[in-house]
Amino acid sequence: MLCDKCLKKEATVLYTEIINGMKKEQHLCEECATDYTSFQLGNTLINSELSLNHLLSTLLEAYNTGNTVETGRKPAVVCSQCGTSFREFMQNGKFGCAQCYRSFHNELSKTLKGIQGAVNHTGKRPKGYISTTDRILKDMTETERLGLKLQEAIEKEEFEEAARLRDIIRQMKKEETNNA
Amino acid sequence: MLKWYEQIVPDSDVVISSRIRLARNLEDKPFAAKLDDKQAREMVEEVKSIVPLLSERDNRKYYACNVSTLSEIDKTAMVERHIVSPLLAEKKQETGLILSDDETVSIMINEEDHLRIQAIVGGMNLEKAYEEADRIDDIAYEKLRFAFDEQYGYLTSCPTNMGTGMRASCMVFLPALSSARLIQKLIEEVGKYGVTIRGIYGEGTKSLGSIYQISNQKTLGISETEIIENLKNIVAQVVKQERKRREYMLSVNSDEIEDQVYRAYGILKYARQITSENAMTLLSQLKFGADCDIISFDREFNIHKLMMGVQPGSLQWNLGKNVGSLSRDQSRAEYIRRELPTIK
Repeated sequence: MLCDKCLKKEATVLYTEIINGMKKEQHLCEECATDYTSFQLGNTLINSELSLNHLLSTLLEAYNTGNTVETGRKPAVVCSQCGTSFREFMQNGKFGCAQCYRSFHNELSKTLKGIQGAVNHTGKRPKGYISTTDRILKDMTETERLGLKLQEAIEKEEFEEAARLRDIIRQMKKEETNNA
Repeated sequence: MLKWYEQIVPDSDVVISSRIRLARNLEDKPFAAKLDDKQAREMVEEVKSIVPLLSERDNRKYYACNVSTLSEIDKTAMVERHIVSPLLAEKKQETGLILSDDETVSIMINEEDHLRIQAIVGGMNLEKAYEEADRIDDIAYEKLRFAFDEQYGYLTSCPTNMGTGMRASCMVFLPALSSARLIQKLIEEVGKYGVTIRGIYGEGTKSLGSIYQISNQKTLGISETEIIENLKNIVAQVVKQERKRREYMLSVNSDEIEDQVYRAYGILKYARQITSENAMTLLSQLKFGADCDIISFDREFNIHKLMMGVQPGSLQWNLGKNVGSLSRDQSRAEYIRRELPTIK
């Protein structure tokens, strides 16, 4: 028998509705039944294991694709150095090596917000550690660095400090042109 | 030099000790979950090699060993003295330990992280403990490359430790709050501020003699100083509540409490055999009495040292041999009789 709705596929579901005492029976195919009713008849969700970890990773996957319905299998994220997969990490809660943090970078931020409530380190750095920001700052000229400070002061609405910095920068630029 | 549990320190009526633990990993080795046996052995040797540098730069002597060479008694005694964690003592793979002569600083090698640097001091003094741990961390970094990331901070096995890699904790004695059954409520309350209360030997252990550990939960997005400040404020609140509760108990029940304290002393001073649980309960009552000036002794002494000494591992370690439970109970009673001062 063909589906009463699409008239194309084989009907596999007998759907009975009773509205105001009126009984209505429809023979539907799986797809139309899923659309027509609120039941998820596709075997993807019903048959999968509903462990907490699985639930968490399913949710994360949904977050990451920006979609609540699984749209085909994404390639699994695996750490290039130690071979730990993101799924494995979600199940054991342990990273395999330092590189894992970079390998799972895109997946991590939501997990970290949940566990730590933050995503950026603000504490101690190893002695002599030079960060990217430090490196960029190091390569800047004095005027450029002051320019950054000026911007910061304006954002913080510290206008007196901003005016002071502006005057220093003007003075420096003047000297630069004079020297040249 | 006196060990932290032999010193007499302020606030020790509630706060027995303060401890800082830093988790560090070597950047070129897989973390514990992926470390094979050969790599584990190499890693333990590599970390042990910092001992001469530590002894040279810090004004203490440091010793290192492979935990597998220690006897079961040694290991249990070290867990009881908070030098190593139960996890390190039980781990099948090669693990190591670096320890300072005064037992203030210890480094566990190949626990959940490659290094767990720990500093422990008596009483309420998290700053001092951090100062020690921070200095050892800097010295160790001269020889070892730690995994560090600009965004994520110190990289650890478990995401619950990443960032500062720091767990600050205070060991607290809460007899009044626990007899009033207020601990569960306290756990819920401090939980709102990112602080947890656990059993005496840390995660998953039960309380013994009304002793608990209060520690920070979050390690990322918060600096070391902020963690310490936050925990200090919470512990100060707990201390206040415990003291208030003690005062209240004494105001309504002083005769009974006094009787209980002196009975505890009597049994401890004259018993011929005693189990460790019973000894802990009585020592806990005695500490409460001494803290509240119900009982006083002819010399100062640290009851908490006795509390550690009566544990099965420490007791046998002091005896220098493995003994059965009956003769253990007899030696325990003898040990307490010898250590306990006379009443003034």
